[in-house]
Amino acid sequence: MRTAAAAAVRVLVVDDSPVDRRVVELLLRTHCGGGGGAGAATFHVTAVDSGKKAMELLGLNGQRRKQMCPSSAAATAASDANEQAIDIVLTDYCMPEMTGYDLLKAIKALGSPNPIPVVVMSSENEPQRISRCLTAGAEDFILKPLKINDVQRLRECSCARPKAAVTTDSDGTVSSSSSRKKLPSENTAKKVATSEQKTSPLAGLAMVINASSFEVSHYFQLLFKFILIAYAVLCLSQLLHTWSNGSFLSLWCA
Amino acid sequence: MAGAALRDQLSALLSSMFSQGLVDEQFEQLQMLQDEGGTPGFVAEVVTLFCDDAERIIAEIATLLEQPIVSFDKVDAFVHQLKGSSASVGAQKVKFTCMQFRQFCQEKSRDGCLMALAVVRNEFYDLRNKFQTMLQLEQQIQAYDHKQQ
Repeated sequence: MRTAAAAAVRVLVVDDSPVDRRVVELLLRTHCGGGGGAGAATFHVTAVDSGKKAMELLGLNGQRRKQMCPSSAAATAASDANEQAIDIVLTDYCMPEMTGYDLLKAIKALGSPNPIPVVVMSSENEPQRISRCLTAGAEDFILKPLKINDVQRLRECSCARPKAAVTTDSDGTVSSSSSRKKLPSENTAKKVATSEQKTSPLAGLAMVINASSFEVSHYFQLLFKFILIAYAVLCLSQLLHTWSNGSFLSLWCA
Repeated sequence: MAGAALRDQLSALLSSMFSQGLVDEQFEQLQMLQDEGGTPGFVAEVVTLFCDDAERIIAEIATLLEQPIVSFDKVDAFVHQLKGSSASVGAQKVKFTCMQFRQFCQEKSRDGCLMALAVVRNEFYDLRNKFQTMLQLEQQIQAYDHKQQ
């Protein structure tokens, strides 16, 4: 149970590449406040190099939380200090042995009433991979290399998890941090809109749009083209019908 | 004065690295994070990690390609790793050469892979030299500033 300062967002970064792990870690730690924002939540980063280690850490975390009993203040304080509770998991997709997708499914299957949000990252921009992860329950899908804008997305995904002590904090934090962030206005509007949609049934849709905005616009283009072609075919068939009725001349005169 | 000369040298080096396409906007972003976030040594740490990691991966690939029967899947996996790290650091040229390398892996051409490995190695060494010079200059600038204070 945290009071006072904005609660740190505890991120578990899972990536087999030491360079990527470090870059993500430093990116998250450095960009917590966007240059001195006192109210913005910091990121507390734990990094592991495999899905297996991530599951061990999360599994241990689950056991520890079950064993935690709020009997004495000392016990609670001790368990708080030792607790490696995780608010959000950020995992690479391509990893040996256990892929990010396997890890995502395993985390969702942990069976707790509040599954930990999982964000998948990948250097490959494959629509099928993206939709597969989102269908499996990923909160978001971020393309590597991570940019500063992605850090804000991560914060929003971590706030998606309902937590009694932190809910009001996180709402306030998200709105204050989003107003303080030097993001492009278009992204800021998107992010604010996304955070407002959190409680609505369209939250999932918003996540998909956010994650795969490029792919969705691509599909919209395809859809638009399809509609155009269908319309053209209809017009053509109408014309042919008219011509076949011998009213070709009247068409030209009219 | 010496400080200014060092800074000019560093700035010229960075400009040439950008203009030659050795590094891209991802590297620029890392630099910005270092400057804005007040975390000195951020770039140095990441660059050093990258160089060590790339060295290791190149050695592994070389070993795999020396085998009588080459496991192109394993080679491809390593090249994919190197491509990922170079993208994260902003090492553009190395990243592109890795992309070409993957083509040869998919074609399962040992000669192609050997040639691609040589290209990747050269590009990496070139970049590593520039990075080392950059880090040396930064250290000298810091030492100079520290002396002035």
